[in-house]
Amino acid sequence: MYNDIIIDNFSHPEFVGDLESADHQFEIGNPVCGDRIQMQVSLDGDSILDSRFRAWGCATSVAAANVFCRSIIGKSFAEVSARQTAEISAMLGELEPSQQHCVNILNELHRELSLAVSLEEG
Amino acid sequence: MELYRTLEQAGLDPIKVALSSVGQLYAMSEIDLLSFKHSLVVESFEFHYQNNTFFRNACEARGITPTQILCTDDLIKIPLLPIHLFKANDSHKLLSKSLNTIELEMRSTGTSGIPSVSRRCSDTVDNAILGIYAMYREFLKLSKGAGLYLCPSTEEIPEMGMIKALNLLSGLLDTHKFMVKNETFAPEDALEQLQGWGGRFDRHIIGPPFLINRFIRYLKATNTRLKLDKNTLVITLGGWKRFNGEMMSRAEFNQECIEYLGVRAEQIRDIYALVESNVIAIDDENGVKHVSPFVHFSVRDPKNLDKEVKVGDIGQLAILDPLSRSTPGFILTEDLIRLLPKTDESGRSGQRMQYVMRLPESKEFGCCAVNLDKRLDDVEAERDNACPIVS
Repeated sequence: MYNDIIIDNFSHPEFVGDLESADHQFEIGNPVCGDRIQMQVSLDGDSILDSRFRAWGCATSVAAANVFCRSIIGKSFAEVSARQTAEISAMLGELEPSQQHCVNILNELHRELSLAVSLEEG
Repeated sequence: MELYRTLEQAGLDPIKVALSSVGQLYAMSEIDLLSFKHSLVVESFEFHYQNNTFFRNACEARGITPTQILCTDDLIKIPLLPIHLFKANDSHKLLSKSLNTIELEMRSTGTSGIPSVSRRCSDTVDNAILGIYAMYREFLKLSKGAGLYLCPSTEEIPEMGMIKALNLLSGLLDTHKFMVKNETFAPEDALEQLQGWGGRFDRHIIGPPFLINRFIRYLKATNTRLKLDKNTLVITLGGWKRFNGEMMSRAEFNQECIEYLGVRAEQIRDIYALVESNVIAIDDENGVKHVSPFVHFSVRDPKNLDKEVKVGDIGQLAILDPLSRSTPGFILTEDLIRLLPKTDESGRSGQRMQYVMRLPESKEFGCCAVNLDKRLDDVEAERDNACPIVS
């Protein structure tokens, strides 16, 4: 049911926790019954210095939050913002239909990050 | 212990035998049933102790090993997982098997909005399905008829435990229809559907109490009194507390079912279940809930959780569920219940329970039904307050 990316990131979620000082934080989720992720990000100029999350929900959504943190740390904001949908989908590997909503979660995390940073810059 | 060993030596899985022998287990003497349950729980404890580092550490911290659970009085020594751990960020530590063995994730969400997620491997899914169906057959005896589901479909919310459990009933029926769609419920459509099935099927009404209550409120408002069928069942599952904190009265609910649905009291059956456990307790024809005979309820003193309260006294429910293989089934719930003494009319051995309320200090209440209740109220309020626009 779960591919190796999901198993590894769910079973060893190395980025769970809180940052001492976050430049941006945002939350995504379904208010009724769905998954919920709180994300914190700190920046160093144009680069993403660090990121932590707290997630509640299915294993794939928890894994998606961990994948997101790992994928953005040390990258420039421009590089992360330039990711296309296909590239984002591939980050979680092959998913079953019941897990596909986590691709949306990962897309939403990218969108929220862009929004948070753009608002500050704007 | 003797029965357990006999089954094991014959090459049978004692759990699977238990799951297909609900009637026979209820017919055992109290002492034999308790002894058999003890064996099932001890084997399960041994399994999780050997395979779950987090659980084993908790056992070692308390100096408990499986060899110390020698008799039924020792069951109280088994460490319990507080139910909030199923909501935790690091709920992966609850797994006694690798994530790649997990077949099904189910969830429930109370007023906090944080989902409690339970993960079941194939073996646990087998046990849960067999156990639930066995209990449905034992107490509801459904094999035909039409089910009016006053709740959303599993297609809309496939992972919700309550809906999943109720949806299992649909396979026993000839037809069924879910009446909550896209977070809206039109009671007039439900009434039309019931009338359409009249004279063709035994009509059953299935759903969380507050939604059936909504339907009854509509019948009251339109002064409509139905006369459902002699084999009709009104089956409820889910909390009795509304999202606004208002507690629904079971007695009042029953009386209104009798008055507006035209059923007898024994046709109204409530079910107690938890998504984190595989137990199910169903009302018999006298309105007494019987606990699955392969699961053990231990009712604790909330002020001293190492102590059980007497039968009849209210306490905090601890569940010892040997059906669960993917996570330890030893759970401290936040529900206050009382175990009921056996009466002459009950006819079954095993435990009988009465749900009292959620623990007052519990940070939240409700299951997914409570959020649905709120959503339906919000949608209705939006509709009622909408500015009329001529188009």
